[in-house]
Amino acid sequence: MNVLITVTCVSLSFSWASAEFDLAQIRLIVYQDCEKRGRQVLFDSKAIHKLDTSEPVTCKNPIVTVSFILKTADETKTPPNRSGACHIGSQAGDKDKPPSYQYTRPASDVNMIGEMMFGSVSMSYKGSTLKIHHIRSPPQLMVSKVFSTRFGSSTSGSTNTYVSCFFSSVSRLQGLTSRFQMGPHFCRSHSNPVDMPSRGHSEDGDSGIARSASLSSLLATPLPSPGSSFSSGLSSSYQRRWLRSQATSLQHGPMPRWNTEEMFNLSDESCNSNPAMIQRKKIAISIIISLPEREEENHNFQEFFFSHFPLFESHMNKLKTAIERAMIVCRRIAESSQRVQVYLCRVMEALGEFRMTVWNLYMAPRISEPVWLSMISQSTERNLLCQRFLKEMSLLMEHGAKSQFLAALLTAVLTHHLAWVSTVMPSSLPPIKSACQKPASQTVDLLAKSHPYNPLWAQLGDLYGALGSPVRVCRTVVVGRKRELVQRVLYVLSYFIRCSDLQEHVQPQGQMDNPASPCTSQTTDPTPEKTCPPKPDPLKPTACVIGTSEKALNSDLGNAIPGTSVEQNHEILLTDTNSTSPSPSSESTAVRPEFTEMGQECFGEDSDSVGGGLEHILANQSPLLHRVQFHIGSPSETANDGQAGGLTGAGCGRGLDRKLHQRLLSDIRRKESSDSALGDSDDEETSPRELYGATEQNEYELPLPSCQVESRASVNHFGHSLLGGYCPQYMPDFALHGISSDLRLKQCLMADLEHTVLHPALDEPVAEALCIVADTDRLSVQVVTSQRRVCEGGRLGRDVMVSNLVHTLITSVLQLFALNIASDFCVMHLEDRLQEVYFKSRSLAEYLRGQTRVHVKELGLALGIESSDIPLLAAVASTHSPYVAQILL
Amino acid sequence: MNALVALCHFCELHGPRTLFCTEALHPPSPSPPQPGSAIPGDRDREADREGEGLTMRANSSATQRADMCEGCRSLPASHPGFVSVDSETGIRYLSHQHPRQPQLFSVVRQACVRSLSCEVCPGREGPIFFGDEQHGFVFSHTFFIKDSLARGFQRWYSIVVVAMDRIYLINSWPFLLRHLRQTIQSLQDTALKVFDNEQCVCPQRAVRMNSAFSPAVFPHQRSGNAARSLTSLTQHPNLWASLHSSFSWLLKACGSRLTEKLLEGAPTEDTLVLIERQTEQEEEMSGWEGAEGGGSNPQPSQSESVHSKDFQFDDGRQEDLLGPKFKSLRHLRQVLGANDFRQLTWHVLMGNQVIWRGADPGLIQSAFNVLKALLPVGCVRAVSYSPHYEEAYRCNFLGLSPDVPIPAHVSSSEFSMLVDVHNVERGCVNPVSDDDILSLYQFNISSANTQPTDKGPTLLNKIEVALSNGNLSVEVVSLCLLCLKEEWMNKVKVLFKFSKVDGRGKEDTQKVLALLGATGPGEEDNVRLLKFWMTGLSKLYKSHLMTSTSNTGSSAS
Repeated sequence: MNVLITVTCVSLSFSWASAEFDLAQIRLIVYQDCEKRGRQVLFDSKAIHKLDTSEPVTCKNPIVTVSFILKTADETKTPPNRSGACHIGSQAGDKDKPPSYQYTRPASDVNMIGEMMFGSVSMSYKGSTLKIHHIRSPPQLMVSKVFSTRFGSSTSGSTNTYVSCFFSSVSRLQGLTSRFQMGPHFCRSHSNPVDMPSRGHSEDGDSGIARSASLSSLLATPLPSPGSSFSSGLSSSYQRRWLRSQATSLQHGPMPRWNTEEMFNLSDESCNSNPAMIQRKKIAISIIISLPEREEENHNFQEFFFSHFPLFESHMNKLKTAIERAMIVCRRIAESSQRVQVYLCRVMEALGEFRMTVWNLYMAPRISEPVWLSMISQSTERNLLCQRFLKEMSLLMEHGAKSQFLAALLTAVLTHHLAWVSTVMPSSLPPIKSACQKPASQTVDLLAKSHPYNPLWAQLGDLYGALGSPVRVCRTVVVGRKRELVQRVLYVLSYFIRCSDLQEHVQPQGQMDNPASPCTSQTTDPTPEKTCPPKPDPLKPTACVIGTSEKALNSDLGNAIPGTSVEQNHEILLTDTNSTSPSPSSESTAVRPEFTEMGQECFGEDSDSVGGGLEHILANQSPLLHRVQFHIGSPSETANDGQAGGLTGAGCGRGLDRKLHQRLLSDIRRKESSDSALGDSDDEETSPRELYGATEQNEYELPLPSCQVESRASVNHFGHSLLGGYCPQYMPDFALHGISSDLRLKQCLMADLEHTVLHPALDEPVAEALCIVADTDRLSVQVVTSQRRVCEGGRLGRDVMVSNLVHTLITSVLQLFALNIASDFCVMHLEDRLQEVYFKSRSLAEYLRGQTRVHVKELGLALGIESSDIPLLAAVASTHSPYVAQILL
Repeated sequence: MNALVALCHFCELHGPRTLFCTEALHPPSPSPPQPGSAIPGDRDREADREGEGLTMRANSSATQRADMCEGCRSLPASHPGFVSVDSETGIRYLSHQHPRQPQLFSVVRQACVRSLSCEVCPGREGPIFFGDEQHGFVFSHTFFIKDSLARGFQRWYSIVVVAMDRIYLINSWPFLLRHLRQTIQSLQDTALKVFDNEQCVCPQRAVRMNSAFSPAVFPHQRSGNAARSLTSLTQHPNLWASLHSSFSWLLKACGSRLTEKLLEGAPTEDTLVLIERQTEQEEEMSGWEGAEGGGSNPQPSQSESVHSKDFQFDDGRQEDLLGPKFKSLRHLRQVLGANDFRQLTWHVLMGNQVIWRGADPGLIQSAFNVLKALLPVGCVRAVSYSPHYEEAYRCNFLGLSPDVPIPAHVSSSEFSMLVDVHNVERGCVNPVSDDDILSLYQFNISSANTQPTDKGPTLLNKIEVALSNGNLSVEVVSLCLLCLKEEWMNKVKVLFKFSKVDGRGKEDTQKVLALLGATGPGEEDNVRLLKFWMTGLSKLYKSHLMTSTSNTGSSAS
């Protein structure tokens, strides 16, 4: 027997953040910018204090939180306008009296913040604008969204106009706190909106550039099927990434993808606007986060914040919706002080919610060793990992044997978290390393290099399973009182909920010659008197030499000088050659001989002077330098490829581009004949322009600098952060996490799912949001969807039908394991069986092609597909054959 | 990265101006996800852009040149710009004063104006992110550059990074901030030294204090001074080339800052075997260098199909032989009749030698092509048409010309079967369609086998159900067959691991067979099939299992 198995224990969750994160560090400001009235602060959490001082204004206060949740749940069932009214009525009579708030003196920085939110010149753009500022002192991050306001339709003959009812409430609110009002004086004189050179839609049409239409429709509609042949089976993972790179490409110009008309919605059927009174008005919401004082914590939080920005933004959108609702609701209240209280109370509650979510997102425990990611990142530990994984899965299987809990859960997870599909699609390429390990996708790798897309975004989509068609996103929540059991479930699921692993490539600390610094080695002594004329462009030819010899250098030097990048030499070359840079780095000194050799080789036998010149350029010392340098690069000597015909690149290195080489040689040649060219390059104005003309479109080629990078496993990626552990509270963001009680889940889930569809963190349209709820106490697995609101018997969602395929798959894997077959073989078998599921989905897709009705019996007889397998197989099929979804719907 | 970088300047005379812009041109749609799904109109757009580009560029530079001073300019109008090519990816980094792509001109202009005269940054120097879906998204970093002749002794610049991918740009904030700070610091340091130097030579403050202020002269003076370029402020002769390099590097480094490792499934056994065969063949070929090797290739068409990879379904691909062909298993079944077909396929699946003897090599080859699909590639050894008998260990598919005798030990063996193809006497002169094989040929099937062929294997039973169901297209049947084969190959792997690698006893093996679903009716046939198919596993797979066992030690027994 293997000893190792006995040592396994359930994974310990680890805390994410290095330090406590104070909720009061998050401040909310709502500002209004009105054409006539100027800027007004509509809310500033810093200037608001709870009257009951015994309770601090944090979201830890359970009363605030719970009452808010109940309200949300209420409101989702009835139209907002009515429920809002009802709600306020009921709240007045509540036994839990809502806290009352008071404005105090506004913080001194609100003016500045207003400037930052709206800018010094207001913009005419109608859509929403996103801004992020970094405030240095005290260190803060500020995220703002600026919206145009939308008012209600003007069809009704209501006597209430929007403007009157909203402003009455706002002005009273401000009357209450007189000092709070900014007044028009704050609004700068230049309040005329700047009309930016914008690309209107008409322009799109005129130019014939079919941009938004074609691409966005591609995004929204399924791709053509890859066909029946296996040969074309590129995974939907690849397609998603490719489409993303295209959709966000600058080469297509600005291309509003979706949701551009997001506005601040103040429309309310009971309070219609008078179109004549609509003014240009913008409302901006800012979240200001105080950064930790300690440098390391500050760094960590910022890294987390920026890498997880889509989630922050999604919660900000939720906050915005709550503020909209608060404004709509409060203006129906006649009595001013009560109106203000209702408004403040609601916004504070929403802020509390936001703070808590952010806190949880940052602080909640995570699965310390997600199985899938660990397996693909560390091959040495593979056997141990496999053993532990199978052991945990066996225990789980035993635990829920009667109810088929595990089979049901895996059916649901495999159906909705679809990223596993591309990890079993057979590769067509021969394995590179060890025989039967899964290869890394080379097509995706190539794509990422030539058409960069955001790997973080790709990972987020993987985790949420957004690979099918139509796009659905899914999360899984495991509920249960037994911590160990829940953690076991989480651990096992972390094998099936998959995503790509991210590597980060960074410059090592303290690297001296940084390609980002244009003036690196020049800084020592600019000595203007001695410098060469402003634009001699001496670079071109020398740089060409470097560029072309780069490959050879790379191969030669890479070994000789470990840790030296060739481009460091290039940096030195690019610098002002007159500078008396005292210490060329040791590396460059070492590089010199080879480089010279290379240079001479390139130039052939009759270019001694140039070769010497190159050497001197590197040495940064020779007086000869001036001459040589100017010779090569004088802009008056336009390269003429034709003249170089006689000179062949006999002595060139392999990587040398012939054309360049010829140009180079011709330059040198000509220079040799016209020697005293110093003055020619002196001034661009005097240089004969005709020589360049508009016809000369060939840019000067320079080598692409690169620098040494260190690769390391990325820390702040979703694969780590969205696989949660056993959390104290339900989390709306995690792809997977566990909780002890589903109380809060039940309260929030529907609203969260709806919010996900409206404001997906994925930054692409989502057709449906789902949540798998696995209850380890009751051994039930349900799927909750944003599309079906009411379920019988007060249950959240519908039960999952166990797929026979999944059942036999788990059973046989675990039986093999029980028969003491090596665990890594068992895991390989598991992958083989998952691949079978994929193949079956191909048959199903092919079967459905052109079919209008599905004969379940026929499927079972001919294809071995049982009715219980159809949801799973259809979901899998929709990743490679989008038409499947349409047939089955 | 799908972005561009631009250096912008707030000119004292002309307001916000774009000085220098580096954009990344990606190779045109390298490998669209699949043929035909390239973005519609992409090519048209490309063409449009070219045309538009020239005109627009000409226009813009013409209009701009009129009101441009030295401070608003980077490269002289005649300068062709810079380019750097990333040879690995084909991405070209282009730098000009303004973006070359016309649709980006206004985007950059907008970013420039917003960064220098709309958005407010506390302290005026620092990073801001702003943007919207219509104008793109911008990471901007504003900064001052010392100028002894400028108002307030400094000039205001910004570097903007523009992208359409909001999330990507925000994700990159820490990276961009870190590196743009270095760029800016380097520019500022350089300019500061120039500034100090100039102040030493001619202290401007004193000059300004002493010179009498005259409203008439002042504007003229100022405008003269306003025209200092960044090159002159830094005394960096190669400034623009260096900036081009910095910006290009930034775009590249930002785009490759994060890479993902995305796994795909291990290749199927069929793929591995084909690769192995191809390698073997290549080695053979190179061994015979120069010799006429083409004719002696046993399976030329198969090795080719490694590339096309649709070897499973290339039933239609035949040599140049004319005449009637079997098109699919279903077709073969129709021609032979259900009973004979069952017999034939049973022998194929059991690994028995299947001999076809007849005058039409094309027909026989087509039969083999169709039948081969029943087996893993590794189990197929075919001699499609031979003038003499070949032993069973050499081939399990053998085609013979009509007069070749079958050795007695073969014809009496239960491990072989013979299909004799007889030409039917053609009585009529009516042209017969190629499809109508039955009107041309007669098939006699014979075998010494006494075992029943109607019980198993399970795989065959399932295939027959699919074949007999006319509702299912040939493609569906093919996929169905592929599923079944993969399913059974996975069982083969387990059995191989269990019996050959781990060397387990009979009792345990029986358990494994049960859990694999190989027991029950037809069990004997299933086991025979599994054992035969084991011979088709790739060498790579087998050796992997063998070595991994020795590596991991005693996980079993």
